[in-house]
Amino acid sequence: MATPSRPTRPIQKFASAVAKCPSEVSAYGRCVVADYNNVHKDKCLEEFLRLRECVRGGAKKKG
Amino acid sequence: MPPPIIPRPGGAFRTLATAAATPNPTYQVFNRQTKRLQRSRSAQNPTASRATDYLKSEISLRLIDRVQDIQRPLPHILDLGAGACHIARLLPLGISSRLEKLTCVDMSRELLYRDAELEFNDNLPIERVVADEEAPPFAEDTFDAVVSSLSMHWINDLPYTLSRINRILKPDAPFVAAMLGGDTLFELRTSLQLVELERRGGVSPRVSPLADVRDVGGLMQRAGFKLLTIDVDDVVVEFPDVFALMADLNAMGEGNAVLAREAGPIGRDMLMAAEGVYRELHGLEEGRLPATFRIIYMIGWKEGENQPKPLPRGTGEISMKDILEGRRKE
Repeated sequence: MATPSRPTRPIQKFASAVAKCPSEVSAYGRCVVADYNNVHKDKCLEEFLRLRECVRGGAKKKG
Repeated sequence: MPPPIIPRPGGAFRTLATAAATPNPTYQVFNRQTKRLQRSRSAQNPTASRATDYLKSEISLRLIDRVQDIQRPLPHILDLGAGACHIARLLPLGISSRLEKLTCVDMSRELLYRDAELEFNDNLPIERVVADEEAPPFAEDTFDAVVSSLSMHWINDLPYTLSRINRILKPDAPFVAAMLGGDTLFELRTSLQLVELERRGGVSPRVSPLADVRDVGGLMQRAGFKLLTIDVDDVVVEFPDVFALMADLNAMGEGNAVLAREAGPIGRDMLMAAEGVYRELHGLEEGRLPATFRIIYMIGWKEGENQPKPLPRGTGEISMKDILEGRRKE
């Protein structure tokens, strides 16, 4: 599709960093969707922080 | 009783009004200037931009199909919001050989001329006009048909634009259009809303408000079109992840241009969170993410002499009720 052969744009680096954390991604998703009529701020803060940590760690290791 | 609330001069009301550049500033939802820049920017990378033509091409083909059903010759066609003249590129010989001129209008010069060097330009008399499609700058009774593919969802004042289109058509000439509407990108919309609620405690407009099928009929009628045909088609595109979807939308020049949106691109925290929610809420088994595009097709005819007209009310002699219930009047 739109993906050029070499991931040169920063957003693609970021996308592949996120792709390396599938369990954290789905843990956060499950938490938000679990009771989606009753979402409030920081309902899933813990899951989000874990996801962000994983993504940042992965991005650093690569760069 | 509390005193009535009077909007303070210099408040939010004024800032909204200053953005109005069109003749009718009643409905300003989209920033047309932003939209022009987004389209121009997308055209600066022709390879990426052409790679995301799949949606426009598909819809343009379906639209051309509908134009082909019209038997009469259409010597001068206007393509309103033509992008890179997609329709011209895809026109089959049956139509193009009978064509005397195809006028492509888009407000982004860069996008309009993106494919000007390609081969299809030699086979067709194409005229490119840079103008805002909200107010097509043509004389009355100019065109034998007006077509528009996936562009009208960015128009602020649809009633005005539609009546303008009606005016530049010749009498008894058709307007055939496809526009995004209703539940387009509902997966992205719902995911971003949930994420913004959870991360920030509120929502902001990330996906445009779109016209509904029910609205379109009324709008067309109000603009003076006769013999309306309106139908809906869903196109579902599958993406590997949210980032690919957003990147494609940007490369199409279809980024957010809602006036009330927040400045700047959507943050990375939001994006990684949206990836999780999108996957959980809408993800398919193989890990792909569906994105729905709801296309509203409309055909309307400008009023003309000898045009078939609906009979006056109450002149029907057969009762629909009887037919549907299987009874027949003796």
